[in-house]
Amino acid sequence: MTITETLSSGITIVELCGTIDASTAPELQRHQAISDPTQTIVIDLARLDFLDSSGLGAIIGAARRKEESGANMLLSCMNQKVRRVFDITGTVRLFHIFDETAAAIDYATTLRKSQ
Amino acid sequence: MNSVITLTLPGDIRFSRLASQTASNTASLFTDTCNAGAGNWEFSHAFELAVSEAFTNAVNYGDRMQGTRNITITFTIEQRKLTVAIRDANAPFSAETPEPDIETYPEHGYGLMLIRTLMDTVTICRENGENVITMTKQL
Repeated sequence: MTITETLSSGITIVELCGTIDASTAPELQRHQAISDPTQTIVIDLARLDFLDSSGLGAIIGAARRKEESGANMLLSCMNQKVRRVFDITGTVRLFHIFDETAAAIDYATTLRKSQ
Repeated sequence: MNSVITLTLPGDIRFSRLASQTASNTASLFTDTCNAGAGNWEFSHAFELAVSEAFTNAVNYGDRMQGTRNITITFTIEQRKLTVAIRDANAPFSAETPEPDIETYPEHGYGLMLIRTLMDTVTICRENGENVITMTKQL
């Protein structure tokens, strides 16, 4: 798994690439932008090939901590395999999910202005 | 005639991707053999995900004991059915896990839910001192 971070319109975009399973989820949990509960971020999943429940749990835990601190985690560009994990577990309704990262950034910017 | 493929891996989470990729590749081979079409990604992904979850469970139960033992994965290819059995000699595994309450944002407990949804049949038993989870799916 590789994690790439960029900034757009003042919003941090975290791009996940490769595989998130039990062997790589701890690295995701330690990533600064993901673990910082006060930072609103967009996670771009376009290049994520595989996600299992360990990776899902890491994403949910980080999202919960952000929400408790008044921040948000938005998801974009899920492929069919990743989307299937969210759909089966019902966790799809815990997140704002966007087809395009640009739309997620726009929404994050709106959220920030309203806070 | 059935074909059987057996893979034995150390009970170490670093090998989880090897297990899940082998499952995906085996399922792809199976669907190709059955002329089910290369576009049958859902079948391959079901095995990739189910084996990832089962392997992780086996390793996690091993960690609770002192020393993790090998995990054996056996694929059996039949005419229209693929079966995978995952065996470990670790502490007995309980399948009586309640489904997570989504409203509380639980971080754990989705593995068996995924396996049971993706596979046609799932059996979990203790056999000859080993945990055995057997999962099947038909085309």
